Amino acid sequence: MRRIVSARVADRTTADDLVQETLVRVLAATARVEPGMLEPYAIVTARNVVASMWQERDRHRRNQHRVVDLRAPEDPGTDLLAREERTAIARALERLSERERQTLLAHEVSGQDTRSLAAELGTTAGAVAAQLNRTRARLRVEYLLALERTEPPTDRCRPVLLALSSGDRRRQREVDAGRHLLECDPCARLSEPLMGRGQQRDDLTRIPIHRDGDIVAARQGARDLATRLRFSRTDLTVISTAVSEVARNIVRFAGAGEIVVELLEAPRRGIRVTARDTGPGIPDLEQALTDGYSTYHGLGLGLPGARRLMDEFAIVSEAGRGTTVTMTKWRQEG
Amino acid sequence: MTTGPALVSILRQGSYLIASIHTALDDSQMIRFQHDLIEQIGRHRSRGVIIDVAALDVVDSFGSRTLRNIAEMARLRGALTVIVGIQPDVAFAMVALGMGTGSVYTALDLEEGLAYLDSRVSKKVLGGTVIDPPQ
Amino acid sequence: MDEDSTVAEDVSADFPTLDRRDEDQLLPQLVAHLREHRTKLRQEWASRIQDAHLLHAMTPQEMSAETTSVYDNYVEVLETGSVEALQHYARDLSERIIPRGVETHEVVGIVLLLRDVLARSLFEKYQRDFALLNRVLDAYEPAANRIANTVAVSFVEERERVIRQQQDAIRELSTPVLPVRERLLILPIIGVLDSERARQLTEQLLTGIRTHRAKVVVIDITGAPDVDEAVANHLVQTVDASRLMGASVIITGLSPKIAQTLVTIGVDLSKMNTIGDLQGGLEEAERLLGYSATRQDSTAG
Repeated sequence: MRRIVSARVADRTTADDLVQETLVRVLAATARVEPGMLEPYAIVTARNVVASMWQERDRHRRNQHRVVDLRAPEDPGTDLLAREERTAIARALERLSERERQTLLAHEVSGQDTRSLAAELGTTAGAVAAQLNRTRARLRVEYLLALERTEPPTDRCRPVLLALSSGDRRRQREVDAGRHLLECDPCARLSEPLMGRGQQRDDLTRIPIHRDGDIVAARQGARDLATRLRFSRTDLTVISTAVSEVARNIVRFAGAGEIVVELLEAPRRGIRVTARDTGPGIPDLEQALTDGYSTYHGLGLGLPGARRLMDEFAIVSEAGRGTTVTMTKWRQEG
Repeated sequence: MTTGPALVSILRQGSYLIASIHTALDDSQMIRFQHDLIEQIGRHRSRGVIIDVAALDVVDSFGSRTLRNIAEMARLRGALTVIVGIQPDVAFAMVALGMGTGSVYTALDLEEGLAYLDSRVSKKVLGGTVIDPPQ
Repeated sequence: MDEDSTVAEDVSADFPTLDRRDEDQLLPQLVAHLREHRTKLRQEWASRIQDAHLLHAMTPQEMSAETTSVYDNYVEVLETGSVEALQHYARDLSERIIPRGVETHEVVGIVLLLRDVLARSLFEKYQRDFALLNRVLDAYEPAANRIANTVAVSFVEERERVIRQQQDAIRELSTPVLPVRERLLILPIIGVLDSERARQLTEQLLTGIRTHRAKVVVIDITGAPDVDEAVANHLVQTVDASRLMGASVIITGLSPKIAQTLVTIGVDLSKMNTIGDLQGGLEEAERLLGYSATRQDSTAG
């Protein structure tokens, strides 16, 4: 693309600007263009950009003596939006490293395949593809940040947003993305468009927990999902009872949180329930997991019971930040 | 008479009250059910209460505790409580959770519950036994 | 393959004196030889089987009949190249001999012996023409291996099927919920109780209580050896869950060792209705039922 532009424009800086603008247009159009069409589209766009620059200059020269701009005024709203979007993409591109930008450009715009890119970079095609995925994920994050004109408030935000954008579940767990979204409003807002673009997962249910009624919704959601793995009737009831306990724990002691239920296929089939809250945390976990601590003193934590019901149970709590309970029930085979 | 037509119903039959829970209740609905039932026991001077939980697919620690509380309060008001209709899977989950119904009597279904009340209540009348004093 | 020139070229490199047609004649020749010497070779095979102490679960007559069948099937596979008939026969044979305790190594062993007997006979016949012998063995061995494979796989598959069937049967048998009389269930536990079986048992019992409207359940664990703590715990939960469904549980046949395990995990044995033997348990059940029956009779309208 740079070749196309450079062939028509002598000035290096101008060429760079035009390449940038072309890229911006191409990326903005990615969603509307078939993947195989990207390169032709980029070339056409590059030509148009260059042509319009000449036209612009020409007209500019011819009209220099006039005071009034003769260009047809566009709808100011649309124009502004389009300009904002373009600026956001440009800013996002600036955030990428030189190498990331070049690889992305070579692949997306020039259509260079991953194998030849790998040969140039002295790596494997798989590594290039992975790198490209990460770059795209970063571009999306930076684009949204630029569009919203915000800088993430904490150091944890970017890693979380990246993990969400790339749809990397393992990474999301590593950075504890779920908890962060509960705590960080800007990230929670950004997460919607980030996750919305990934395919909807039908093996996961997320239930926000705020009041009593949500407890019923959580256990129903867990039961519905678990039914798909054909758990025995008893196991289904055991699972929803455990979910009920941890959900109530959130309502009573934290006020707000969420329950995520997901189906597991490997290494064994099962169901995992993650309950997070942003409450005060549990000061003495050992005590909270002891029978009698809860059950006979008014409000019940229900944690020992939930632990007994499930096959695996883990709890992490931090004073002032909240509690995360992760529990798993394996499907009995046979 | 009831806390709402769809959720629960409390019917009077002679000196007994038959309370049926028709659907999953959240905690505040459960508490309201408890208040309504206790209030009616007092109003009707009921001697026996049957709580039919056959429609519940989960009885968690809060549910178990509420049922026990109801039975205890009913006892203080002179009524004997039987819980009926606990499903096999629910029974197992309740026990695995570590929450039984305590000393509250349970029976298979409404018929069994009535038979139990008849035997106990009439026995008390026949034997002239007074209801246990509150502790 | 129809291009004679290429084939001839390929073959001529190694076997200058033969063309493709002779090659096609090899297996039929071989089959004819094995048919011709059937009696002798089969007997030789049978005696080798005896020497190797294989299949001694079978009588000489059975041995004779089966070896003849195997031999004929074997030669047929060589002739037709299709293992389908052999597969059927192998499965059928396996079904007959598995219940008699014939092991996998025996079946594989006899097939390998037959392979060897036949190979030796071919060797003897063609030993003067070494090139020809080579080609005969080249034709024979893949087929023979395929046969050995088919028989072994069929046998193992059949064996697994039988084992699965037996396991299911045992499972069914060992956790029966028996309605003895109205409102009374007996659950005799026989054999090792692992967590999975304990779970199935509980589910069966609890649904059984509802189906049979049981008031009393007798769980007899005379036939169960030692149970671990997890299973003992499960047993206690089963008792409690039955109670929640309105059924009283009587446990009979509690060995001192299991009683000890129950105490270790904190079970208050005085709160469980335990009775020495099944007979005593049934009498206690009758008493409980009689009591509740009287009550019912006096009140039922």
